[in-house]
Amino acid sequence: MNRSAPRSIDQYLKALREELAGEDSALIQDALYDAEEYLRAEVAAHSDKSESDVLELIASTYGAPDEVASAYRDTEAKVKAAMTTPRRVPKSGTGAFFSVFLDPRAYTSLFFMFLSLATGVIYFTFAVTGLCLSAGLAVLVVGIPFFLAFVALSRVVSLAEGRLIEAMTGERMPRRPLHQGNTPGFWARVSQMLKDRRTWTTLAYLILMLPLGIAYFVMAVVGLSVSLAFIFAPLVATAGRYEWFGIPPDVQTSPAWLGSLWALPLMVLTGVLLLTLLMHLARGIGRLHAMYAKALLVAPVTQ
Amino acid sequence: MDDSSGRKFQKELNGGLVGLVLLAVLDGSSEDLYGYEIAKRLALANDGTSIFKEGTIYPVLRALSAADLLTSRIVPSYSGPPRRYYRITEQGRAVLAEWRTIWQATRSFIDRFIETGNSP
Repeated sequence: MNRSAPRSIDQYLKALREELAGEDSALIQDALYDAEEYLRAEVAAHSDKSESDVLELIASTYGAPDEVASAYRDTEAKVKAAMTTPRRVPKSGTGAFFSVFLDPRAYTSLFFMFLSLATGVIYFTFAVTGLCLSAGLAVLVVGIPFFLAFVALSRVVSLAEGRLIEAMTGERMPRRPLHQGNTPGFWARVSQMLKDRRTWTTLAYLILMLPLGIAYFVMAVVGLSVSLAFIFAPLVATAGRYEWFGIPPDVQTSPAWLGSLWALPLMVLTGVLLLTLLMHLARGIGRLHAMYAKALLVAPVTQ
Repeated sequence: MDDSSGRKFQKELNGGLVGLVLLAVLDGSSEDLYGYEIAKRLALANDGTSIFKEGTIYPVLRALSAADLLTSRIVPSYSGPPRRYYRITEQGRAVLAEWRTIWQATRSFIDRFIETGNSP
């Protein structure tokens, strides 16, 4: 309030970013996006006045940066409280270990691990095709527009991936695409886009998603099939004994004592333990991946 | 409305009302609207100065959208970043009907105390 009022759109956005310092980086990106949409529309609507004259009135219509910042903070807190129902989670001991089965994030993270192979292949293909064609076409007239369209499209893909990650892991990701402001001049915009760290980290993310996706997928498939095989071992043993489903009576186990009757409960127990560990692993990977995605896809808070 | 106690009271009142007004505006509109357009409609309805700070409606629009009361789509714009156009959903209409009843009941309850013996 005591500081001098912003005189241009860039100053306003800078002041708003300072007011929101320390908040979630995705929230800041959304707030700046909304403010820019409004301010540019307002300046365009008053084409007879100068930008600084329009900005003078902004504090009484849109709100001063500190007021807008507090509106975002308040709404975010309320939405978070309304959308996450508090659950009673055992704090310690075996209860805490098995409570992972009550956590929806563990299931969605596991699903994300399966899905990441498909998205990884798509992102990798998109990024590599785009980069190669950009390099190949660079000598032609269409090369630069093609590269720019490719970068613009990669931001849309980045937003979509962010939405997916928020749905799967609950980590707050942007709800608006990245927008760079209206720097006058085509070449100035191009150079700004090339200088932007996120242009390159986003491409790196899309390419790295293939190896990561493969790793996640393998972990999920192996973990799930091994633990389920252990859990259902008694069923197979019983089926073998009575030759159900055409399963031969002499199911070979190695070592041989694994096939004996007393070992069956132990196998079920091992399977349940492995499954629980897998759920913990999935939830942990979900959290780590969300942090990693945020570091590469979302704007750093300090700029 | 210049003194700080008045401003604080207005801000507290606005908390839930912004959502109600936004739902009502979008329900009454035949076309999809974007944030700036909604802000200007609100200001126009109140002789050019909105009761709400227009910056406060954007986070509420996002919150309503996250709760599936609104849907949105992005349309590119020449004057700035792409605009997000909002439209009310069936669920939003149901919530609006419910909130409208609550608001009408609350208003008539409060009016009973405010307006007795003090009517202009």
